[in-house]
Amino acid sequence: MIKFKNINVKFNEKSILKDINVSIKTGEFLGILGPNGAGKTTFIKVLLGLIEPTSGVVLIKGKKPKEFLMQNKGFVGYLPQHAIVNWNLPIRVIDAVLIDNIKPFGLFRKYKKKELEKVHYWLEKFGIENKMYNYIRELSGGQQQRVSLSRCMINNPKLLILDEPNTAIDAVYNVKLYDILKEINKEKKVTIVMVSHDIGAVTAYVDEVMCLNVKIHCHNFANNIDYSTVIKNLYGEDMNIVVHGDECKNCTVNRLKQ
Amino acid sequence: MIWDILIRAFIIGALLSVLLSVISYFVVMRKMTFAGVGIAHSAFGGIALNFLLGFTTYAFPLFFSIVASLIIAFMYKRGNMTEDSAIDLIFIFSMAFGVFILSISDGYSANMLGILFGNILSVNNGDLYLSVVVFIFGLTFMSYYFSHFQLITYNEELAEISGIKTTLLYYLFWLVLSVVIVLSIKLIGIILVNAFLVLPTLVGLNISRNYKGVVLTAAISSVLSIAAGISASYALNTPAGATIVLAYVTIWIFSLIYKKIKT
Repeated sequence: MIKFKNINVKFNEKSILKDINVSIKTGEFLGILGPNGAGKTTFIKVLLGLIEPTSGVVLIKGKKPKEFLMQNKGFVGYLPQHAIVNWNLPIRVIDAVLIDNIKPFGLFRKYKKKELEKVHYWLEKFGIENKMYNYIRELSGGQQQRVSLSRCMINNPKLLILDEPNTAIDAVYNVKLYDILKEINKEKKVTIVMVSHDIGAVTAYVDEVMCLNVKIHCHNFANNIDYSTVIKNLYGEDMNIVVHGDECKNCTVNRLKQ
Repeated sequence: MIWDILIRAFIIGALLSVLLSVISYFVVMRKMTFAGVGIAHSAFGGIALNFLLGFTTYAFPLFFSIVASLIIAFMYKRGNMTEDSAIDLIFIFSMAFGVFILSISDGYSANMLGILFGNILSVNNGDLYLSVVVFIFGLTFMSYYFSHFQLITYNEELAEISGIKTTLLYYLFWLVLSVVIVLSIKLIGIILVNAFLVLPTLVGLNISRNYKGVVLTAAISSVLSIAAGISASYALNTPAGATIVLAYVTIWIFSLIYKKIKT
């Protein structure tokens, strides 16, 4: 579905992404790991056509992202980082969930019954259906994030791009969130590309893992992979990681070599 | 005669202030009020040129404020950290240029006061017709693209992915704002026109929690302030522009008290 061919991105002569070659298959759940400043968000923005690469090409179903997304509105559901959304707007949750369903003369817009049902369905899915008529600036950060996730799903996208979806979400709901994402991926056949700092969750829930720090350090964790080397290359220092098996039945804590 | 002047001033003020109320919602929500201040003051140089050359045309002030708004919009779009400095530079250049030009033309003091604080006697039927045209085009534009601007304000990346031509809309927004500001200057003056970029939405946010209510309250309070200001200015023999703004600040104080009582 998606192909990155020799992608390089530079800002002021500094490499943000270098020699990125990766394919993402239809129905795949890809997790992207990497430290701050590794180029994860830039990777997503290049994929969405928001940033033009310095060299190389990205193709979604054989077309450049901007061209493809213009012709296939609603194909992608995008969750930007929580901090760059304007949560001070005087709008209700329902308005926020339907905000990218643009209509002319929107100031006088009234929602149809079908739209209300769809909004209720997704808010219920993310456990905040009782907040449908609350104002977004009065919600907690975690609730706002769930509003954003509902917005992403409202048009039944085929591709879901999530930039740190668990920001501001508490530990208890975090597990539930990944369960829902996994369900969306498997049952609705939605391809998911997810940036996260949550190494444990990423390795537990996704089909493929891409470790990114300007370059791709690994793509997928093979059984015989040397975790310590990959993580050290990625983050630049030793750290504790929890390696999950399927459904976390055989979790092991690896203390990496000092 | 005096009633003709007052009614004409009221209609012009009401039309332009309703349009400014809608624009104000996005200016405040995007935290761009200083940009509005910069655009308003940039018209000063153009108005001063009018006085020097003996023209009454809108061409010079429009040219100055449109160029300024495009530069300011460009700085905002680039997300450059020095955007406030750029606005300040345009602001002080236009003011200094205007004062310099006025000082070598006749009637320096009288002209200066009229430009800065408005002159109700200076608006004529030509201004009225122009205000009607700008009101119809401006309000249609802002209403048609309201959802687009709302999404851009919520998150610009989402707007781009949705296929909205964000850059084009952005510059058109500043263009409309420049035109409305220049037309409003005659009535309420350069310094006071900024009140209509901020106060409508501040009053709206005090009265309503919903964007529709905010915009509606903003528009109603704007028209009320124009009516109250012009009436008070006639009764008390005070400058219309300043009296209109004082009336609006009074409305804002009442809206704030309402908010405090309600919560």
